[in-house]
Amino acid sequence: MKGRSLRRTLVYAALIASAVIMLGPFFWTLSTSLKPTSDVFSSPPKWIPNPFTLQGYRDVLALPFPRYLLNSIVVSFSVVTLNVVFATAAAYAFAKLRFPGRNALFFILLLTLMVPFQVNLIPLYRIMVDLHNISPLIGANTYFGLIAPSAVQVFGIFLMRQFIASIPDAILESARLDGASEFRILRSIIFPLAAPAIATLAIFTFVTAWNDFLWPLIVTNTDSMRTLPVGLALLSRKNTVNWTATMAGAVITVIPMLAVFAVLQRRFIEGLTAGAVKGAS
Amino acid sequence: MKALRIAGAVVLAAGMLLAAGCGSSSSTPSATASGPITGTLTVWDYYGSATPIKPAVAAFQKLHPDLKINYQAVDYDTFQQKFSVGVSSGAPPDVATLDMTWIPEYASQGVLTDVSALSGGTLNGRPIAAQYTPGALHAMTYQGHLVTMLYDFDAYALYYRADLFKQKGIAAPTTWSQFSAAARKLAVTRGGKAVKYGFQVLPDTFHFAQMLFQSGGTILNSDDTQAAFDSPAGVTALNYMKSFLDDGTGVYWGPDQGDSSGIAGIKDQRIGMFLNGPYMMGILKSSAPEQKGEWAVAPAPINTRPGSYLGGTGLAIPANAKNPAAAWAFAQFLLTPSQQIGVYKYGGAAPATTAALHDPLLTKPDPYFGGQAPFAVFLQAMSTATPFPYVKPWSDIDTAISDGVTSALLGKQSAADALKGAAGRTNDLLAGQ
Amino acid sequence: MARVGLHPHTRRALTGYALIAPAMLVTTAFLLVPMALSAYWSLTTYNGITAPTWVGLHNYVALFQDPRFLRSLSNTVAFVILGMTIGPALGLCAALLLNERIHGRAFFRTAIFLPVTTSLVVVATVWKMLLNDQGIVNAVLSFFGLSGHAWLADPSTALYAVILVSVWQGLGFEAVVFLAALQSIPHDLYDAARVDGANSWRRFRHVTLPGLRPTLLFVFVIGIIGSFQVFDQMFVMTQGGPVGSTETIVYYLIDRFQALELGRASAVAYILLAILATLSAIQFRLFEERS
Repeated sequence: MKGRSLRRTLVYAALIASAVIMLGPFFWTLSTSLKPTSDVFSSPPKWIPNPFTLQGYRDVLALPFPRYLLNSIVVSFSVVTLNVVFATAAAYAFAKLRFPGRNALFFILLLTLMVPFQVNLIPLYRIMVDLHNISPLIGANTYFGLIAPSAVQVFGIFLMRQFIASIPDAILESARLDGASEFRILRSIIFPLAAPAIATLAIFTFVTAWNDFLWPLIVTNTDSMRTLPVGLALLSRKNTVNWTATMAGAVITVIPMLAVFAVLQRRFIEGLTAGAVKGAS
Repeated sequence: MKALRIAGAVVLAAGMLLAAGCGSSSSTPSATASGPITGTLTVWDYYGSATPIKPAVAAFQKLHPDLKINYQAVDYDTFQQKFSVGVSSGAPPDVATLDMTWIPEYASQGVLTDVSALSGGTLNGRPIAAQYTPGALHAMTYQGHLVTMLYDFDAYALYYRADLFKQKGIAAPTTWSQFSAAARKLAVTRGGKAVKYGFQVLPDTFHFAQMLFQSGGTILNSDDTQAAFDSPAGVTALNYMKSFLDDGTGVYWGPDQGDSSGIAGIKDQRIGMFLNGPYMMGILKSSAPEQKGEWAVAPAPINTRPGSYLGGTGLAIPANAKNPAAAWAFAQFLLTPSQQIGVYKYGGAAPATTAALHDPLLTKPDPYFGGQAPFAVFLQAMSTATPFPYVKPWSDIDTAISDGVTSALLGKQSAADALKGAAGRTNDLLAGQ
Repeated sequence: MARVGLHPHTRRALTGYALIAPAMLVTTAFLLVPMALSAYWSLTTYNGITAPTWVGLHNYVALFQDPRFLRSLSNTVAFVILGMTIGPALGLCAALLLNERIHGRAFFRTAIFLPVTTSLVVVATVWKMLLNDQGIVNAVLSFFGLSGHAWLADPSTALYAVILVSVWQGLGFEAVVFLAALQSIPHDLYDAARVDGANSWRRFRHVTLPGLRPTLLFVFVIGIIGSFQVFDQMFVMTQGGPVGSTETIVYYLIDRFQALELGRASAVAYILLAILATLSAIQFRLFEERS
């Protein structure tokens, strides 16, 4: 009995220590964002901002952080919507319809899964510039340029195909006998039945799109098109660094994601880890 | 090679004088002569919040209402990446601010327009050669061609906390030994480390070159084929930099500090002295207004002779710019005396054309610097400053040198070994170009 | 709709093509075409302005003679190996703790998972400040009587600091995945082991670990492939320095791009692709073996 309670104490001690290490930086970020710049590295450290100031937030709101936020929202939601629609459609075709070349095409898609994005980076940017020369609405430094390359992620097709394959053919056949078209089947049978997988896909895509960095960094030229991570990275690498403003920017970047996480916690964790659990089981 | 380049510059300058002297500027194929400026002009500017270029854009727009000007502020730190991406994928700016130390890399790739041809040798109707100092002309020339127009210049002087110097009875140092002594009196140390009012020690090529030039050394040999910075003068220079860290009077300002200007350390009082260029006048005023009246500028203390690196900002027109005519017109506009004064007025930095250098505004007492006119100090520094070598692999050599300097300052290697290693890499790069 | 006249099979096939069309179009335009361009460039000298000149395999040969590239390769391998031992090990510890019968499991799980939701750029920016010479990490260390250090300024510690930050960010992912796997191990297996008199270490060794094997494998593969592409942390925290100690493959690729050596940069990309393809093939083999 004594051994057990000692063990419990150790378990709690270790858990509390981990929680402090994991949450501490979040707390310190928030605290720093509310300090005057002269107190950032004060010794001894000030855990609670005193004096308290919103100057850091005023500084980043003057940079167009609200604009970055808007861009991040537009880009992430578009990427999620497009992926849900296109990946589910493609996954349905790959899982349930027969057409010549189906397996070969799916195999090519699978192969692209292991291509690191960096291979495409430079030529992709060139393509975007060429598109921009055709029309100023598309290509480099536009929403199109930010969204299009991630509009369909192969991983999503893969994930959805696995799920849709498990839907019994009998359901589809009876719908077909009732005269439903394939598009109708997709809309009124596959989408509702695949809702859990779609939620997983949506969360996974949302997190990757929201946090994406390298491509938005390359493809955007102006403040009006930058997303939050790019705006923040450039802010933190300015020749005259302003730590309180940078931390205020970090808070603004993190808050929306934490809000989504708070609301959808269980789904969220499942969404992010689905690939691992599914793939391994 | 260097001799050849200087000869080239001289011939070029003579040619331009000749061209301007013989005919009126209208007979040269100058872009300014060709009617109204139209189309779109894309300008990339790395100055940041205190930019003199943005107000110039507005003024230029008034002169050319039909021109669509697309002005973009791009951060200095990521400017090269953006510039490379833009140029290599066919979306370059028409006019860009380029740090003079980036010029060799781009010029050697054929990325920059030959301004000699575009300008016909004249700038705002007068010969280019007559509007810059010889040092500046030298810095603007790559293999006999003008590849950029110097817009602001950079040469180092010593910024120090005049209020603390006065309080502690320290005189502005003029020699290295006085410099060390002043640092010892100024710094507040704890556990052998400066916690307040230290001398900012930056582990980069600029600051090493400062000490190197002042000890009579050079970066490369006279024909730019071999490293020369590992000479005894180089070892002396590097050891001197390190001495500030050894006796706890220096603040090591590594990349983890987040910026190279050191503004965070200036504001929280960790830094009491630093060597830097005129652009820091503007940064101090805009980022540390609360320290008004506390700073002053003195010539950098010398070992055996005065010296500094000579750099600055060049206005460059990419070879594949869409609207070179408008670009050159705008570049000329930026280099008119009234706009050049804007470099000082808005940016707090140092204009580059000789006409602007002698503007009385620059020698007016500056209340931020306690009524001093620090500009005169930088002018003096410029007269003895040398640009970095114009060799193709310069940016890789720069990395090799700063790596060596970093290793030595952190005590990973002796100064001699660190410089020897860097020199080896430099020689390989020069041999392989 | 032209339903009349088409055989249902043909119609279904056409629908199939229509449904995969957007996916194939995006993949072709933004993935396959750029890949082909990049492959061609890697065999040329190209600065993006003047026409590319064919140089055959010269870029690849030159890279393997370039000390900077070799260093970036070894830095990346060190990042992968250390990151992928410390990360999963700590993740497993956290999962085992969370799997105990405890109060507030949801809270602790959330706390450990929180950094996973945060972008690497934010994490790197924040830790750059925490790990600063004057930062809070050193302040806490000195509170415990330990001496501080300029972690990111010293070439012998910078890479380790970046690795620890990356582990901190990814730990929650590994913990949650392991926790799910732990909870799926049938209880009777433990009971049977207990009946056989196995102590807790032996139960861990002979029941838990084998049960976790597929998950472990998956975490390793995903993690290794991701770690080989590390860039964001270096871009924000160290810019590849000091003294190149944190310059990774992708960082070097971007650096060559910036120097307008597009041919060289593309060759770096293809070397990375070759490494990842090899790893994926091994992964495939391992999964085949299992199923």
